[in-house]
Amino acid sequence: MSNRPTRRLFAASACLTLAACASGQSILQAGNDATTSTKPVAPSTTAGAPGPPTTICLVQPCATTTTTAGAGPTGLSAAPGVTMVMAGNPDFAACPVDALEAIDEPVRITFWHAMQSAQGDALTDLTNLYNASQDRVVVELQNQNGYEELIDKYFLASSDDRPHVVQMPEYMLQQIADANTVITTSACVQAGGYDISPFLPRAMFAYQTGGVQWGMPLNISTPVLYYNKAMFEEAGLDPERPPITLDELRDYSQQIVDSGAATYGIAVDSGVNSGGAWFLEQWFARAGLPYADNDNGRTARATQVLFDTPEAVEMLTFAQQLEADGLALYVGEDPRGIDGLLAMADQEQPAAMTIASSGALGGVLDFVEGGAIEGITPAEIGVGPMPGPSETPSATIGGAALYITRDLGDAEAAGAWDYLQYLVTAEAQSFWAAESGYAPVRADATEIEPLVSIYADDPRFRVPYDQVNFDADDFTAVGPVLGPMRQVRQATAQMMAAIYEGEDVQPSLTAAADQANLLIIDYDNRN
Amino acid sequence: MPDATPARAPWERSTRVGQIGRYALLALIAFIVLFPIYTTVVAALKPGNRVLVNPLVPDSFTLDTFREAWSEARLGRYLGNSFIVATAVTIGQVVTSLLAAYAFAMLRFPGRNVLFVAFLATMLVPLEATLVINRQTVDALGWLNSYQGLVVPFLASALGVFLLRQALLALPKDLRDAALIDGVGHLGFIRHVAMPLLRPTLGALALFTFLGTWNAYLWPNLITDNEDWNTVQIGLRQLKAQTLDAPNLVMAGTIIAAIPIAVVLLIFQRQLIRGLTAGAVKG
Amino acid sequence: MTSPPRRRSAGRWRDLPAAVLLLAPSFALLSVFVLYPLGRAVWLGRQRCDSQGNNCRTSGWDQYLDVVRSNEFREAVVVTFKFALITVPIGLALGIGLAALADKYVRGIGVFRAVFSSTIATSVAVASLMWYFLLQPSVGVLSNLDWLQDLFPVIKRPGLLRDEGTALPSVAASSIWASLGFTFILVTAGLQAIPRDLHEAAAIDGAGGARRFWSITLPLLGPTLLFVVVVLTTRAFQAYGEMDLLTDGGPRGSTTVVTYLTYGLQSPIRDDAGLQSTVAVLLFLMLLALTAVQLRAVGRRVFYA
Repeated sequence: MSNRPTRRLFAASACLTLAACASGQSILQAGNDATTSTKPVAPSTTAGAPGPPTTICLVQPCATTTTTAGAGPTGLSAAPGVTMVMAGNPDFAACPVDALEAIDEPVRITFWHAMQSAQGDALTDLTNLYNASQDRVVVELQNQNGYEELIDKYFLASSDDRPHVVQMPEYMLQQIADANTVITTSACVQAGGYDISPFLPRAMFAYQTGGVQWGMPLNISTPVLYYNKAMFEEAGLDPERPPITLDELRDYSQQIVDSGAATYGIAVDSGVNSGGAWFLEQWFARAGLPYADNDNGRTARATQVLFDTPEAVEMLTFAQQLEADGLALYVGEDPRGIDGLLAMADQEQPAAMTIASSGALGGVLDFVEGGAIEGITPAEIGVGPMPGPSETPSATIGGAALYITRDLGDAEAAGAWDYLQYLVTAEAQSFWAAESGYAPVRADATEIEPLVSIYADDPRFRVPYDQVNFDADDFTAVGPVLGPMRQVRQATAQMMAAIYEGEDVQPSLTAAADQANLLIIDYDNRN
Repeated sequence: MPDATPARAPWERSTRVGQIGRYALLALIAFIVLFPIYTTVVAALKPGNRVLVNPLVPDSFTLDTFREAWSEARLGRYLGNSFIVATAVTIGQVVTSLLAAYAFAMLRFPGRNVLFVAFLATMLVPLEATLVINRQTVDALGWLNSYQGLVVPFLASALGVFLLRQALLALPKDLRDAALIDGVGHLGFIRHVAMPLLRPTLGALALFTFLGTWNAYLWPNLITDNEDWNTVQIGLRQLKAQTLDAPNLVMAGTIIAAIPIAVVLLIFQRQLIRGLTAGAVKG
Repeated sequence: MTSPPRRRSAGRWRDLPAAVLLLAPSFALLSVFVLYPLGRAVWLGRQRCDSQGNNCRTSGWDQYLDVVRSNEFREAVVVTFKFALITVPIGLALGIGLAALADKYVRGIGVFRAVFSSTIATSVAVASLMWYFLLQPSVGVLSNLDWLQDLFPVIKRPGLLRDEGTALPSVAASSIWASLGFTFILVTAGLQAIPRDLHEAAAIDGAGGARRFWSITLPLLGPTLLFVVVVLTTRAFQAYGEMDLLTDGGPRGSTTVVTYLTYGLQSPIRDDAGLQSTVAVLLFLMLLALTAVQLRAVGRRVFYA
């Protein structure tokens, strides 16, 4: 057999396979037969107006009027106008809160977390304090180096290798609920008669879906606006008054650029964990618009996203114009989430503002302190709420919550619940927020040391707290919960990247919505 | 066997200009190759707040970052873990590869060629494809968070078998036949004849294996959830989380992780080249 | 046909017991930790599972076909080929060039050799970190060199790793740099295996340096170069860490190679074990086919001394 014809045949078939037989379909549809639905059900209500939002309540069916409920031992009102009634769900694992009474030797529990540097140290300190303060439970911390590694390992682990307590980021809520590997916080609260009234409503609701409180929030971060006060002054702006609405953002940027105080008003990115997701999710929450159906996926699993609306087109066009007019610098997909901040540090073409996570504040101040960036001192870094399409500077919760793994022993579960209660006491939260830069999950933590001094001495640190210390009138205030949340954010991030690069807003928005729906349907088919 | 640095031969003497030109070119390329390493070293030696200033010039100097990387990041302990694992894997791979290579090169048995091709094909399987299932296997054996788990899956290497087989085939035929007739047996041949003669190739293989294992991240990260078992690459990953407030710390950690390798490499560089000479040419 | 079977089988089968014993350790290990996972992956590639890898639904071999024909996979294949087409020829050429340059007697050549080999000491993570530090557009090293920015404004705006046109070449550059040591060492070894009398004879016959290089050196380097090409190609197709650390598969998917599609954080099939297996097996098959083509197409032309 001669060589040449074989080679040609080989090459030809390879080319043909690649080039010609494209299906035009997404990889997500692979393996689906013709009967599997791939299109979302057409919404029964007009898009953008899904009907009156459901008042948040945690026991179904929900009352339509907001009253202080008396049902159950933990009936309470967390904030004016909001009903919060906890109820256990008989289908889920029970929480054996009394199991610690019966033990004769200390129970050891493991806690997988992803807290690094100062935050890791703070968690270690708190845990050591807890271990020393009682002799029934010993907690062992295991740092998994990052949320993604932690998630992978947790779901790969066989049931007896899982940790007793695990920290999971907010976007994992639906997957945790579907995996059903945890004892719900609802169950523990109900069983132990625990009082959850001191907690911030937004913090608690963020980890609630399907009528169940799944996890206990531990660390709260939000997107905040970092700005250069010196540049503000130079531009004739009040350095203590950052922009709150989108119009103000534009005006400020215009003034900054015109005055020459900086080359750009604001640096924006399209990162999956930053600008690519925040601009849509946070602005929708600010405007009270639903991101997904079924009350943002909170009362039942979402079946489609609802962000393909004229309001969204308006918001995104605003962002696009800001960049097109030279008022904003687009720094790209920013995988590490720091490029916006670095653009503020740029010596030649700096930006005066950027939006980044509140968790970065401590690191930023440390970095700037020794003069690492010429011309900026720590005092000149300003922090304000993220600008958005409303006067109320609120934000949805970012960060992570703690979950108790089920089926690892009653004493261990009780020990885990005991530890969780400790971590969210006012004293612990005050220490935690002061050391880590996260916002505390309860209001009374801000009134005791060490946090009260920190907030008084440097009000910049209380910005994330102020952003989440608002009522949650309905579920649009706490953001969407979706199974494939990460991948949906990837779709919106691609959309933001396209928009910043000048492509038309409506087609990009629709493409992102289509991709998101595809992801949701695929997730629902499999889980 | 050719020497690593050949003596100048008559046809190789070049003009003075040629010499200078060659030096200049070598120096330029060496600078380009070293550039990323150079900037890393410079950054690691600077105190934290001077990292972004003059990245090319080491205008400030401190060893504090190294000290910090060592103690705070527990790099000392992790280096120990890496060293144990890398050494065990290296010894294991060399031994199993030598035995298998001997069988492929010296012995005749049915299915030999097919089996050899199957061995080679394992080199093409992407590592990530095997990770999750291997983790399940290791979990079932109870080897999570253990040296066995870190070491055993990598004790065999198709690349090693390939290189050593080449080297064995390159040995003079009479030597092989003579030894077999003498009746030393297979293991005897391996110990007394193959190992001494193949030392350069074995050294090269050992070096490649040590390097590869030292630099591995995905597998050690996947099967350990207990910090005591972290290897140095995982420790480096922990440091990376501090990129914003202490990039020099990350750089220092990077260098600490790379120094043992660089040292080993410098020492065995000549061996490495000599070792690869023996097998890389013959088909 | 008519030879006594006993004698022939005695010859072929005589070594079998010894062979089994000697091959057992390697074979067992490779079977359990490479072949078995591959088999499982092939089987899993026919299924769609939930986020925890359970509750799998079998869809059949069509799943492979569907994936091959899907948009994301095809784009990833194109990116992967582009990446390989940049890294393999350039890596090879640099390796040969440097090895040839450093092969002569020059005082202190050992130092240069050590420098050129040094990149082998860096892991993918370390190399990517170093290159990120170089390429970051706001505060990276290259962005501080004004004369370079005048030549190539893309370094600053939007940055080499951000621009869709330059992101893949930049990632390829870091990959070439990291593989340089390996290539250099292998080619140097190959060069030194060429008998010096061949050069001497040619020189006496009047052949100059360049002529000798093309007529003697390069052909005799053949097997080595083939080995290097196969290894570089395999590495190019299996590259993952660089994309993960430098660009996260972006910007806008321009560095999403097939491995990143399989395991990358931003991949749409991130939590679908079934689809991940499908793509991984397809990658293996591509690599198998490519290696076979390389060995057959090029191998015949290589001169064996």
